[in-house]
Amino acid sequence: MAEREQNGDKRINGRAWALVALHILLFVYSFSGFFSKNAARQPFMSFEFCAFYAGMLAIMVIYAVGWQQILKHLPLTLAFANKAVTVVWGIVWGAVFFGEAITWPMILGAAIVMAGLVLFGIADAQERADGGGDE
Amino acid sequence: MEMLIYSGVYLFGVFISSISQVMLKKSSQKNYGSTLAEYLNPLVISAYTLFFAATLMTIYSYKVIPISLGPILESTSYLYVSIFGVAIFKEKLGAKKILAIALILVGIVIYSFGVRT
Repeated sequence: MAEREQNGDKRINGRAWALVALHILLFVYSFSGFFSKNAARQPFMSFEFCAFYAGMLAIMVIYAVGWQQILKHLPLTLAFANKAVTVVWGIVWGAVFFGEAITWPMILGAAIVMAGLVLFGIADAQERADGGGDE
Repeated sequence: MEMLIYSGVYLFGVFISSISQVMLKKSSQKNYGSTLAEYLNPLVISAYTLFFAATLMTIYSYKVIPISLGPILESTSYLYVSIFGVAIFKEKLGAKKILAIALILVGIVIYSFGVRT
């Protein structure tokens, strides 16, 4: 019984670490918007376009390598839902790098997205505590 | 009409990139001999070929589609991936998780209304 509890703890801890790693990865991934936005401002297939597009692809490669490791530890639905956090980073980087305005609907929308992410995480933890679980 | 066609291209891109996610997850469930083989296998390579095609479709559609509409069209991926997760990988999606995905979608739509272009 104690052993089973310990295994349960390990499983939950393992998932917690995978979620932390996922969010570090999504933080890096959020910079792809910086590159793609710069690429979009250049004439299609110009040198600048290709350079920014290459920058975006480089981030995608890092992201792809990490994502595959994350998928080994998390269900697809959980990992993919957390991708929505990039909306929040998009607002931050838009303001920092491109001087984009931050409006109330953006803040409200981002807050609702975050509420959804937290709810998804809580529901997942509850399902696992109830004995179910998927990888 | 033009807008509709370009939206269609974007949405199709989102759909095939969701399929690529399924292929990646399938691959992650297999045991490969080495870390390199976890990446250099037909599933992962095909998945990223699809994904690359999807990014080109996105860039092409942005010729006509306003940037602010992008996240809304993109958000359909949460629906596809959730459906695939349940149907193909038998992942659990209870009422709370469905509500959570609805919140994410509503949040993205509200956010998009606030984006000034």
